[in-house]
Amino acid sequence: MQIQYKKKRNLLQNLFLSELVQGMWLTLRRLFTKPITLQYPHEQPNVRRGFRGQHALVRDPETHTTRCVGCMKCVMVCPSRCIRIRIQKRPEHGNRRFISAYHIDALRCVYCGYCAEVCPVNAIILTEVFAYSAFDRKSLSYDMPQLLDNWDRYLAEQGEDLAQYVNPTWRPRGLPEGPMPAGKRLPVPDDWKGKGQVVGRLWRQSVQGQNR
Amino acid sequence: MKEPSKQTVEVPVATGDEDRYRLRMGPQHPATHGVLRVDLELDGETIVACDPQVGYLHRGIEKLAENRTYAQTLILTDRLDYIAAMSNNCGFCVAVEKLLAITPPLRARYIRTIVNEMSRLASHLLWLATHALDIGAMTVFLYCFREREILLELFEELCGARLTFSYPRIGGVRQDVNAYFIDGLQRFIDIFPEKILEYETLIDTNRIWLKRTVGIGKVSREKALSLGLTGACLRASGVDYDVRKHQPYDAYDLVDFEVPIGQEGDSYARYRCRMEEMRQSVRILQQCIDQLPPGPIVGEDAPDLHMSQRIIPFREARVSAYGTGLIALSHKTKPTYPAGDIYVATEVPKGELGFYIISDGSPRAYRMHIRSPSFIHISALTALSEGGLVADLITNIGSVDVVLGESDR
Ligand code: SF4
Ligand code: SF4
Repeated sequence: MQIQYKKKRNLLQNLFLSELVQGMWLTLRRLFTKPITLQYPHEQPNVRRGFRGQHALVRDPETHTTRCVGCMKCVMVCPSRCIRIRIQKRPEHGNRRFISAYHIDALRCVYCGYCAEVCPVNAIILTEVFAYSAFDRKSLSYDMPQLLDNWDRYLAEQGEDLAQYVNPTWRPRGLPEGPMPAGKRLPVPDDWKGKGQVVGRLWRQSVQGQNR
Repeated sequence: MKEPSKQTVEVPVATGDEDRYRLRMGPQHPATHGVLRVDLELDGETIVACDPQVGYLHRGIEKLAENRTYAQTLILTDRLDYIAAMSNNCGFCVAVEKLLAITPPLRARYIRTIVNEMSRLASHLLWLATHALDIGAMTVFLYCFREREILLELFEELCGARLTFSYPRIGGVRQDVNAYFIDGLQRFIDIFPEKILEYETLIDTNRIWLKRTVGIGKVSREKALSLGLTGACLRASGVDYDVRKHQPYDAYDLVDFEVPIGQEGDSYARYRCRMEEMRQSVRILQQCIDQLPPGPIVGEDAPDLHMSQRIIPFREARVSAYGTGLIALSHKTKPTYPAGDIYVATEVPKGELGFYIISDGSPRAYRMHIRSPSFIHISALTALSEGGLVADLITNIGSVDVVLGESDR
């Protein structure tokens, strides 16, 4: 396909600067429409669920501490290697592992969401909180209490009940349920499970045509 | 009293012609689209020599890729061309899929085509905005950002990020599209052709725009080929070459579109080519939405995020697909990834992005080279600008559409 290179202008258009008039008219019309700028600190943007923002460790309502079982999957999958976990085994509890330290360096993190996706018990989550800058490096290197606090704050803000809460970073929409560990098979709407997918108009028509 | 020693003050004289003036433009110059430095030698206002210097944004992505698995390298490709990160992601995934000999399911291929074209639109909008801003058209800048915002919001709904998407997966995509996304995209497609007309009203026949772009940065067909230009820069010079058409990947062989070709090879022709490309993108998007088939979004033989040494088909590993990765790694099973090398090119908004991967059978690339269009386009700046005016250098940098993140890697 050949592009149209330069539109011809006739003498009248040249004389009356028609293209300038058109452009001015266009911008003038804009003047009377609603502004689209979001006055950010005063108005908050509508961040969609599943935005990959600040980390949090889910606080388990029963044990009041993290759900993490110390499987180290998130550590291994993290591309920027910013998660550090220390595990302890306490003899009085048999073989159960306890997480004695959980560190995430938010300054190294690239917010890919891999950690939340591989975690088998949905212990770690990337929340929709996006504004959390600080003045020093230390306060952006989160330890376990800070991460658990992040979660408490987030849950209170959202006004959600943990029992019904699912996040797309835990379980991306439409992934097959079969190979998922049990902890990931949370109750979700049908389109999330991969049923009732959005399909194209032409596809729907062709299927209907075949059925007839 | 001691005589003050006579000091001879040496006047630094440039070698060669004494009338010449040396100017170092950048790396903080706002019109260089990032951190590009251009060393200029000027005779009056004419550029005698132009020497682009790159490397201010070097992060060693190719080296980093050598000790990260393919799944982890995917997030590095976000940081190449950060304006159209989705295209880079898709390009990398296509390359790795070809290496591992897996085919993503049809639905995933369609979704990838959709996001590819969306990112092409987002990139071209940003290009038009900054190019116009450099030349002095402020209004277009704001109008383009208005439309780009809609696209970024759709991306945010789809994958949870506005710039660094990491959305495609090796063997599929990460997340399915939902009705919100498709409806939003349909609404965008409906209004967007009008908006392209608006931009064209503002600058297409504007005499300042014409003065600044027509005949500036001319490259002939042969010159363009020998410089290695790709994408809209090559097509504006009259070469019919588009990877999407000539080596179709994803769903490009299933949709109908045309490749806009120019003749003149100057900045204005490049501008026209990209505007037409936007129209074609809208066409592709509409077809993809209409034809979007149902089905799975990741292939059955797709590797998991851990890139365990053995590719585990989902069916086989019902019980513990997530765990087998660890077991395979700790047991050091025989590597079953294909060894060898591969070069796969995809058409990103800037041109032809190629990934050359040498694999030794491990889940990591032994060596990965990125053929980035921006790097090659920057090297063409010399040919484009020498003999022209300083002010035209700005036009040239804008019109070849470079992103320094991709050039320096
Ligand atoms: S989001 Fe990505 S980079 Fe950040 S901690 Fe999780 S896995 Fe690591
Ligand atoms: S993947 Fe989850 S359970 Fe395993 S160590 Fe990480 S946070 Fe803990």
